[in-house]
Amino acid sequence: MTGLKGLRRYPSLIAGIAVIAIFFGVAIYAVIAIPYSHAILLWRGGIAVTADNPKNAAPVWFDLFTSDSLPRTIIVNSAEGAGTKTEQMLGNGTKQVDITLPFRFAFDRFPMELRLYTELANAADGVPTTVSWLTPNGRTIVLAEDRPFRVSDAYYISQDEALRARLSGGFPHVELLADPQNQDKVLKGDYQLMLTAQVPQTATLDSKLVVYGTVHGLAGTDYRRRDLMTPLLWGAPIAIIFGVLAAVGTGLLTFILSAIGTWRGGWTDRIFQWITQVNLIIPLLPVLIMVGFLYTRSIWVMLGLVIALNIFSSGMVTNRAMFLQAKEAPYIEAAQAYGASNFRIIFRYLMPRIAPTLLPQFVLIVPAFVFLEATLAVLGLGDPVLPTWGKVLNDAFGQGALYKGYYYWFLEPAILLMVLGIGFSLIGYSLDRIFNPRLRSV
Amino acid sequence: MRATIIKLARMAAFRAVFLFLAVIVGVYLTIIVANMGGKLDVMRELQIREQVAIAVLTNPAYKLLPYEEQQALVEANVQTELQRLGMDKPFFPVRSSMYLWNAITMQLGWAEDMTSDSGSRQVNDILIERLPYTLALFGTANLLLFFATLFIALILSRRYGSFLDKAIIALAPSSAAPGWFYGLFLILIFAAVLRLLPWGGLLDAPVPETTLGYVLSIIKHMVLPTTAVMASTFFANIYGWRTFFLIYSSEDYVELARAKGLSERAVDMRYILRPTLPPIIANFLLVLITMWMGQIVLETVFQWPGIGRAFYQAIQLYDTPVIIGVIVIFGYLLAATVYMLDFVYAIADPRVRVGAGGERK
Amino acid sequence: MQIAGKGTSGDAARPVRSTDPLLKVEDLCLYFHASNGIVRAVDHVTFELGPGRSLAVVGESGCGKTSLARAILRLLPRNVHTYSGRVFLDGTDVTSLGEERFRRDVRWVKISMVSQAAMNSLNPVLKVGGQVAEPLLLDHRTNKGKALERTREVFSIVGIPLPFMDRYAFELSGGMRQRAIIAMALVANPLLVILDEPTSALDVLTQGNIMNALKKIKQELALNFILITHDIATSSDLADEVLCMYAGQLVEHSKAEVFYRQPLHPYAQKLMASVPTLRMEKKPEFIPGQPPSLLNPPEGCRFAARCVKRFERCQEEPPLFVHGDATVKCWLYERG
Repeated sequence: MTGLKGLRRYPSLIAGIAVIAIFFGVAIYAVIAIPYSHAILLWRGGIAVTADNPKNAAPVWFDLFTSDSLPRTIIVNSAEGAGTKTEQMLGNGTKQVDITLPFRFAFDRFPMELRLYTELANAADGVPTTVSWLTPNGRTIVLAEDRPFRVSDAYYISQDEALRARLSGGFPHVELLADPQNQDKVLKGDYQLMLTAQVPQTATLDSKLVVYGTVHGLAGTDYRRRDLMTPLLWGAPIAIIFGVLAAVGTGLLTFILSAIGTWRGGWTDRIFQWITQVNLIIPLLPVLIMVGFLYTRSIWVMLGLVIALNIFSSGMVTNRAMFLQAKEAPYIEAAQAYGASNFRIIFRYLMPRIAPTLLPQFVLIVPAFVFLEATLAVLGLGDPVLPTWGKVLNDAFGQGALYKGYYYWFLEPAILLMVLGIGFSLIGYSLDRIFNPRLRSV
Repeated sequence: MRATIIKLARMAAFRAVFLFLAVIVGVYLTIIVANMGGKLDVMRELQIREQVAIAVLTNPAYKLLPYEEQQALVEANVQTELQRLGMDKPFFPVRSSMYLWNAITMQLGWAEDMTSDSGSRQVNDILIERLPYTLALFGTANLLLFFATLFIALILSRRYGSFLDKAIIALAPSSAAPGWFYGLFLILIFAAVLRLLPWGGLLDAPVPETTLGYVLSIIKHMVLPTTAVMASTFFANIYGWRTFFLIYSSEDYVELARAKGLSERAVDMRYILRPTLPPIIANFLLVLITMWMGQIVLETVFQWPGIGRAFYQAIQLYDTPVIIGVIVIFGYLLAATVYMLDFVYAIADPRVRVGAGGERK
Repeated sequence: MQIAGKGTSGDAARPVRSTDPLLKVEDLCLYFHASNGIVRAVDHVTFELGPGRSLAVVGESGCGKTSLARAILRLLPRNVHTYSGRVFLDGTDVTSLGEERFRRDVRWVKISMVSQAAMNSLNPVLKVGGQVAEPLLLDHRTNKGKALERTREVFSIVGIPLPFMDRYAFELSGGMRQRAIIAMALVANPLLVILDEPTSALDVLTQGNIMNALKKIKQELALNFILITHDIATSSDLADEVLCMYAGQLVEHSKAEVFYRQPLHPYAQKLMASVPTLRMEKKPEFIPGQPPSLLNPPEGCRFAARCVKRFERCQEEPPLFVHGDATVKCWLYERG
C-alpha cells in the first residue's frame, strides 16, 4: 500500500468506505435515538402504540412529487384540552356532556380513514351517544344516533355501513369532506365533530377524533400501522452486526483451522478435507430453515449455525491452497531448524504472511451473510422479535405490496440492503485488487 | 488409452462412493437435527396410525363392530405395528438408521397436507413431479451464465484497462445481492410497472393449446427468473474469470505460444482457456452450490412450480415429510453436481488423469 | 523440408556487404511504461550478423538482453511505450510487415526462440509432441503425417526418447523439458534461433549436456543462433561473435577470439576480468558500483561512472565506432 495518496487510485474503495461509514452512522444513531426497548415497543407494541398511525401510508416526502397536497394525520383529543366540552347537570343523577372537536382540513386529497375514540371513566358500558358532523358550509350530518358506547370504545366511522348507505354509497371519509358542487374535490375549511352523551354525574367522558392522513413519517407505515422508520433505522445495526460477526467468525475460524490443518498435515489435514467435502453437500439454507421452523428463530442461534456450517466450506479450500504454498517458504524451514514450536510457526509466521491476501475475502463475504439474514426473514423465519429489513420485505411480500402499488414498502428495505451490500463489495473488490499478489505481475 | 479409461473408471467409482457416503452423513445429521424435538417420531407414529386405521376400518370383517370395539382394535393393531417397525427401540442407532434408510432410498412417506397435481399424497410423487421444472430453470440459467461469462471474460482479458474492463470492475460488486432480490426488482419494473412480462408462474392462463404456444409461454415465463439469476452473478463471474485469465495469460507458455506464431484466437483457446479450465470449473462448482440455495427463494418469488417452492409451501404448512424429502433431494442434487464437475475436472486436467497429484504452483 | 518462402526485399539502394547479412538490426528501440516513468530497455541497438555465424549476447542482469530478443521477435508487452528501428532478415525488412504477415511468414518460420526457465514454457494440458509439432500445423503449412515425422526428427536431434512425444510436460524432467523447447525451436527449420539463457535454470550436469547438444546441432545443421546469457564461460564454446550490452545499449560487438581474450570496451574488459578461468592465477575482479537504472539513464556514456579509463569526453554519449571488424561504443576508439 502506498499510503493515503495511493488510495486515490481506487475510487471504488473510497466510495465503499463512504457508504459503510454512512451506514455505521445510521446504526449508531438508531441505537442512541431509539433505545432497544423503545424500538421493540414501537415494533411489537400493538394497537396501543400504533393506533393513531394511518395504515399503509406513504412517506411524507411523496408530497413533493404531487401537485396536490397530501393529507397528514390530524388528531383532536378532548383529554388534551382540544375542542370544547360542556357539561349540563340533569335531574336524575346524570349529566349531559357535549364535546366539540373542531379541526381545519386544508389538504387537496381526502383522508384515509376517520375514527372516533371515546374514554368513559366511572360508568358502565352502553351509554347512548349521538355523534354528528358539521361541514364548513354549515351542513350537519348525524353519524350515529343514540348509539350505545362501551367504556373504552372506538367508532370506525369509515367502516360504518349504515352511514355509508345514507351517504349515497360513498366512503364516509370521502363523502363527509366532499364539496357538494364537485364530489371529487375536497371542501377545505373548518370542520367539527360533535358528541353528545348522557352519563352519570361522577363520570368523565373524553373523546379523540383521528383523521388519518395518507402520508406519515419519513418512511411511511405498514399494514399494522407501524412507522417504517423503526425497522429501517434498526435494520442497519442488526444487518451490520450479523453480517460482520458471521463473516469474521467464519473467516477467523476457517483461517485458524486451515493453518493448523495444513501445517500438521497427515490425518489432521485429511480429516479437515473430508469434513469440507461433506459440508459442501449439506445444503445450508434448507438446514437453517429446518432449524428455524422446528426449534427457534432466534437470530443468535441462526448466527451460530451459520458460522458452524460455513467454517469447512469453500473458504477452507482456498485458504489451504495458500497455506500449502506458504509452508514451502525457506524461512519456515529455518524456523523449524531453530526449534520454533508448532504454535509459534503457525501463529507468528504462517498466518501473518497469508492474512493480507485473505482480507478481501473477509469483506466480500459480509454481504452474503447480510442477505442470508434477509433471506431467512423473507421466508418467514426471521427473528420474531427484531425489526429487520428482511422482516419488512417479508411483510411487504406477504401482503402483496407490489400488487397493491405500495412500492415504497418494498423499495425502502430493498434499496438499503442493496446499498449496504454494494458498499462492502466495493471495499472487498478494491482490497482484492490491492492485495492479490498474483495480480502484481499483470 | 485403455489404461486411461480404466484409471478414469476407477476414479469415477471411488468418487461416487465417497459422495454417496457424504450424502448419507448429511442426511443422517439432518435426521438427527429434525428429530431433536421428537418430531420425526411423532410424524412416523401418526403415519402408522393412519395406515392401520385405514386398514382396519375398511376391512369388511370389522365394519359391523360397534365404535368402541373398532377403536380398541385399531389401537391394538397400532401397538403391534409400532413394535414390529421397531418404534419402541432407541433412536440411536435403530430408529435413526431406519429413517436414514427410508430417506436415502427415497421412501419418503406421505405428506401431511400437500398433494401432487395428480392427487397423490406421496412425497415422492409430489417432489418428482416438480423436479423437472426446477432443473429446467436451474439448468438454463446456469448454462447461459457459464458460457456467456466465460467468453466475455476471455475477450475482456485481452483488453486490460479499457473502458469495458473498468465498467465490469465497477459493476462487479453488484453480485452482493442474491438472485431472488434482483427478481423482485425485475418484477417491479417489468411486471408491475411496464406490464411487459408475467409476474410469475409457469404458463399463461388459459393454457395455450398448441405445442408451440405452450413452449413459448414457458419461455416467456422463464425470462425474468433467468435474468434474475444471471444478474446476481454475471458481473462478478466475469470479473473473477477475467482476472484468472489475466494471471494465466502472463504465463511463460503463453508467451512462447505467441512467439511460435499462433494467432490470438489459437492462443486464447489452447493456451489460456484450456489450462485454466480446471480451476474455472472448480470455481463454478461453488457458484452452482450457492445457486442451489438461492433456488428456493427464487422459485417462491416467481411462483415457479419447482421443488424450491414446494419447500416453501411445506414450511408454511408445517408439512414435515415434504421438508425432509426436499432436503434429501437437495442433498442428492448437490452431490450429483459435485460429481459431474469432478468428472469434467478430471477430463480437463491431465495431471489428475495421469495421477500426478499435488499442486503445480 | 521447405517452408513458405520469404517476401520481397524492399530497399535496393542501400549499401551491402559482400555477403548479405543474415540479420541486420538498425537503431532498434524498445521502451516500456513503468509506474514511475519510462524504462529504456533497448536503446538504439545496431548490429549485423553474417550467415552461418552465431552470436552471444552478454551483460549483467537487467541490461536489456532479453528485451532485445523480444524486440527482434516483435513480442511486445502490454505496457510498451516505444518500438522503433528496423530489423532486416535475409535482406527483408521485417519491421515493415503487418502483424498478420509477420505472424505467418516470420515468426518461428524464420526466427524462433528458446526461452528462459523452460519449467513453465510448456502448456501443462497438451501433450509435448503436439506442442512441438504445432508450428508446422498452423495455417495449413503441412499435413499431420509430415509434421509428426519432422517432430520425431527433432526429438532425435536433441536427444529425447520418442515415447515422450505422448507425455505431458509435468512428466518430463527439467533437462528434458529444455530439450523439448529446443526441439520446438528447430522444428520449422528457421533461419535463426534465439536462445535466451537456455541453461540458467538447470543444474551443472544438465547444463553441460544441453550445451553439448547445442554444439552438435550447430555443427550438424549449420544453424545460426543468438545465445543470450550472463554466463560468459559457457557461451565461449558456441559463439563466433559476441555482443555486449550495458544499460540497454550495445557497447561492444566483436569476434569471439577478440572478446574473450582482449575485449575492447572498458566494461567488457572488466567483465572478462571477473570470469574465473581454469588455469589462471590472478583473482577475479569485480566492478564496483551499480549499473544505472534504465528509467533515468545518466547523460553521456552510461558506464562512465564506473569506468577507470574515463576522461572529459565521456560526459558526452559516444557513438558506435568501427574498430577493425568490431564496433565499440567508447570514445577511446574515436580514431578507429
